[in-house]
Amino acid sequence: MTTPEPRVRAPSTAAKGETFEIKTLITHQMETGLRFDSAGKPIPRKIIHAFSCRYNGQTVFSVELHEAIAANPYMEFYARADESGTLEFTWQEDGGAVYTTQQTLTVT
Amino acid sequence: MATAGRQRGVTRRALLSAAGLATAALAMPMPVRADDPELALVEQLFGSTPVPSERLRLEMPPLFPNGYTVPLAFEVDSPMTAADHVRSVHVVAPHNPLIHVASFHFTPASGRARVSTRVRLAKPQNVIAVAEMSDGSLLMAKTWVVVEINGCG
Repeated sequence: MTTPEPRVRAPSTAAKGETFEIKTLITHQMETGLRFDSAGKPIPRKIIHAFSCRYNGQTVFSVELHEAIAANPYMEFYARADESGTLEFTWQEDGGAVYTTQQTLTVT
Repeated sequence: MATAGRQRGVTRRALLSAAGLATAALAMPMPVRADDPELALVEQLFGSTPVPSERLRLEMPPLFPNGYTVPLAFEVDSPMTAADHVRSVHVVAPHNPLIHVASFHFTPASGRARVSTRVRLAKPQNVIAVAEMSDGSLLMAKTWVVVEINGCG
């Protein structure tokens, strides 16, 4: 299986107090555990089960994902620009792997 | 698991992970309303009665060919202030093999309680969203979606 790859589209600057949109995606099969291989054996579940967006260390948005979230989970959400800093995005996979990416935000 | 806002107890999470209506009914016995099984399901999952509200708008296509990647968006009308905001929105698909879709957690710093994502649906059904507000109230919305391909196989 190829390594899950996070992608984020968020503005690099925002006006103070402005609410801005963030689009995120991670490439991931989101194996539900409901499928069977060609030999008839069940394929074990392996999904991204948690996602969070932290802004200067504070979690502003998070998700508990279940099997019904589509493959390559796409999340579009909002955050309010309070101060300059870092947006950190984290995805947690069944089995403990963690994928993360960051982006700086300048608030004027 | 990194989540914002209040974590619900283990009981609810275990309940929500349980596969299907029958298990939910066994775990938390409550009188089942024959006239509205979906409301009964939501009452069993949340332990209280959510109020259908137009403040919670669930946006999904009424007909979508591919059940593997159905667009889902919702928004809650809320000022998102410390005194009045959305804590969480939970989405369930009662006719999927595993009914819980996702739980989304917000803070006032979210600015806007709007999310867009994509989900898998097994068959035509009402997708249900329940919003937990900062004052403890529960809002509910549902929308009927027909998919032509089972996205859960």
